[in-house]
Amino acid sequence: MLELHGQIEEAVGVIRSRWESQPRAGIILGTGLGSLVEQIEVEASFDYGEIPHFPQSTAISHAGRLLCGTLEGLPVVAMEGRMHMYEGYPLKQITLPVRVMKALGADLLVVSNACGGLNPDYQCGDIMVIDDQINLMGDNPLIGVNDDRLGPRFPDMCEPYDRRLVERALEVAGREGITAHKGVYVAVAGPNLETRAEYRFLRTIGADVVGMSTVPEVLVAVHSGMRSVGFSIITDMCLPDELTPADVSEIIAVANEAEPRLRTLVLGVLAGEQAG
Amino acid sequence: MDGQLIDEAVDLVRSRWASTPLVGIILGTGLGGLVEDIEVEEIFEFDELPGFVPATALGHRGRLVCGRLDGKPLVALDGRLHHYEGHDAGQITLGVHLFDRLGAGGLIVSNASGGVNPELTAGDLLVMESHINLMFLQVGDPSSSNQERAGRMLADPYHPAWIETALGVALERGFRATAGTYVAMTGPNYETRAEYQMVRRIGGDVVGMSTVPEVIVASRLGMKVLGLSAVTNVADPEATDGTTAGEVIEVARSLQPAMRAIVAAIVTGEAQADSSQ
Repeated sequence: MLELHGQIEEAVGVIRSRWESQPRAGIILGTGLGSLVEQIEVEASFDYGEIPHFPQSTAISHAGRLLCGTLEGLPVVAMEGRMHMYEGYPLKQITLPVRVMKALGADLLVVSNACGGLNPDYQCGDIMVIDDQINLMGDNPLIGVNDDRLGPRFPDMCEPYDRRLVERALEVAGREGITAHKGVYVAVAGPNLETRAEYRFLRTIGADVVGMSTVPEVLVAVHSGMRSVGFSIITDMCLPDELTPADVSEIIAVANEAEPRLRTLVLGVLAGEQAG
Repeated sequence: MDGQLIDEAVDLVRSRWASTPLVGIILGTGLGGLVEDIEVEEIFEFDELPGFVPATALGHRGRLVCGRLDGKPLVALDGRLHHYEGHDAGQITLGVHLFDRLGAGGLIVSNASGGVNPELTAGDLLVMESHINLMFLQVGDPSSSNQERAGRMLADPYHPAWIETALGVALERGFRATAGTYVAMTGPNYETRAEYQMVRRIGGDVVGMSTVPEVIVASRLGMKVLGLSAVTNVADPEATDGTTAGEVIEVARSLQPAMRAIVAAIVTGEAQADSSQ
């Protein structure tokens, strides 16, 4: 991990050459949930290829830009296009943008994803505010010689998601009449969707939803001393005994349908940051 | 695993230390103090041992100690390598290969762990009777050139008689001790509350970030294995206070007297078995 410090400095140097504000939050949005960034008043934008040590944009299926600006008046930096472990990126590279957000001054990470629902009380299209996580990706972005300048060797994970922000998100949901659960996200490597037996296993170990992202970024946010708030859109239900083949276009349609509600929750959480 | 490096390491040790150790010991977090009880005959720093790389983890040193405990020959790795430091299985288990090549018939390995079984409290000793490997680490077969060894079953890597000895000695000395299952995860972060619950639900009593690769290799090499786990903190799903590395080391140290007595009993037993043969 000792190489990261220099990489972060170089990336920050490029961003700072064109953008001087201090972001209050860093935002990473998942599959089909990216249109929130359209509401950002962009002051500077960087293709990932322009930022040293970011993954090259040619390898990314969608946009691949870092947007710097304000969202409802709050300075933010947002990733348009996210990297996944199943695409072959090392976790240290996937999570480098989080460290760059922190180095720019953000102390809050807002992250969202599309996921499969395991908890039978959930419904397709529901939103879950992430309360806790299980890492079953088989890897960890913090493996390697620790750089004490970036964070502790053994980060404590008793509260990976900031409790006050979880409560705030649920309050906003209640006020706006949005169905929002609070639950446990388990991350697996993918890229295949899980078998029925795997869904049963993941439910048995205590997970409410399953996905292939988010956990690495939040591990690094905790390591960096950032607070995190995470949202999962349940884009398909994964009940082992009622499983039908997943339809990607349907998943994206569900994500798009849920997006306005997700946006309300994210903006509600950020509004609290503004007041505080 | 690089066979040539291990040959060189064995040659180096043999050039300065001639005894055949009864056991090899890997001293985990906070348990390095056991070294003080060893009548040291020779020390090899990791950076002079071919293939060994310096340990980076807190509470770990990085040397091979050759000597005697109550007059019985043994070797000890003071400081171990972890997967979370970025080492691969070959590097992590190199010391076990060295033990085997020096003639040690058994491995005693210690670690610090978090208790998830609600009956455990911080400061308890868990004698490993089984483990669950959630490290996602490929441990190559150390003996693929030896069909007989390659076919060995890994069903029961922990030596039942040693488990009994360890429990007996610990209880005799007034320590709380129990046999149980160790779950290994990659780390380096401490587990989330949800992960602690997962570990419990799948049958784990404690969770840690080491030991399993070394045990797999020792077992495949035909060594007897004893695993001693210092329960340095307990996972209370409702607790809000975190775990710190400093506390972990402190609690682990409180178990040193028990560990010392257990190692002495095992070594004495092995010496008797040796002489009666």
